[in-house]
Amino acid sequence: MQVYTKPKSIKENSSFTFCSGCDHGLVIKLVAEVIDELNLQENTIAVASSGCSVFLYDFLDVDCIESPHGRACAVATGIKRATKANKNEKFVFTYQGDGDFASIGLGESLHSALRGENITVICINNTNYGMTGGQLGPTTAMGQITTTSPTGRNRAYHGFPIKAAEHIALCDGTAYSARVGVYNIKNIINAKNAIKKAFECQIKGLGYSFVEVLSSCPTNWRLSPSDSHRKIETELTQIYPIKVFKDITND
Amino acid sequence: MSYITIDDSKCKSCYLCIDVCPKNLIKKSTHTGKTGECIVEFSDSNNQCIACKQCAMVCPDIAITNVYKE
Ligand SMILES: Cc1ncc(C[n+]2csc(CCOP(=O)(O)OP(=O)(O)O)c2C)c(N)n1
Repeated sequence: MQVYTKPKSIKENSSFTFCSGCDHGLVIKLVAEVIDELNLQENTIAVASSGCSVFLYDFLDVDCIESPHGRACAVATGIKRATKANKNEKFVFTYQGDGDFASIGLGESLHSALRGENITVICINNTNYGMTGGQLGPTTAMGQITTTSPTGRNRAYHGFPIKAAEHIALCDGTAYSARVGVYNIKNIINAKNAIKKAFECQIKGLGYSFVEVLSSCPTNWRLSPSDSHRKIETELTQIYPIKVFKDITND
Repeated sequence: MSYITIDDSKCKSCYLCIDVCPKNLIKKSTHTGKTGECIVEFSDSNNQCIACKQCAMVCPDIAITNVYKE
């Protein structure tokens, strides 16, 4: 008999402090399930970033470290290299927002991919700076209204959004780069498989592995949680296609 | 007979589980939860639940657990 239970690497008696319907909780749950399945709990160091991901250590029952805004990949690089040099190599992954990964930390993010650092990066793309009140971020879609683009993102003033998974896939050091969504059951299953694949790339020592998760931000989008998922399904996936952009294990 | 456990103290009334239940067995209750909105409740008087676990998979707060069918 199969029983659906809480993943072992989610802390007992902890509850997520995210807003109602926020996909951060869903993704952390998937990450925890993969950590359990690959038996990584004792050997993992997770790197959280600034943003809504900051409270990761409150929920995940693995060793966690907090990094300055945008610097998660740099911190993860240090941990991975230092633990490897000490012959006690840890499994290292970062859990970052899109503003953190693709705006303030773009230099760190891109260069760790170019160096082919053997780390895994989970990036939550909710198309805004969620924690600070929904400002325009690097991934805000054209025309999207945010608190700092009240008339919508426009080309002349804000320029175009970044497509992180596509860019990371272009780096030679990247082993795996995919964009997934968690807006329906099929995509939740695919997202978990992508996270697992990315983790396995690191275990095999193949290089940088990256998963961008299209996520909802019902509070800042001012939509209900289910309308937010519909918006991702109908609008955002047109701009940000759900796809595996690079997978060297398939080549 | 299927079983599911909904932790009232974790439910944030996002109602994503109501959307996914193929048998419409999860509904809004009359009790308010931590967000001040009505939390959800599960009732299955005709044994229709097939323990597909979609409600648990979609719950962002791990409020739905111990889903199984006997
Ligand atoms: C150096 C620095 N600049 C600005 C901030 C303020 N700040 C905290 S969280 C955040 C936005 C994070 O947005 P994102 O990375 O998209 O994550 P989300 O909250 O949307 O998950 C900002 C700008 C900070 N903590 N540190």
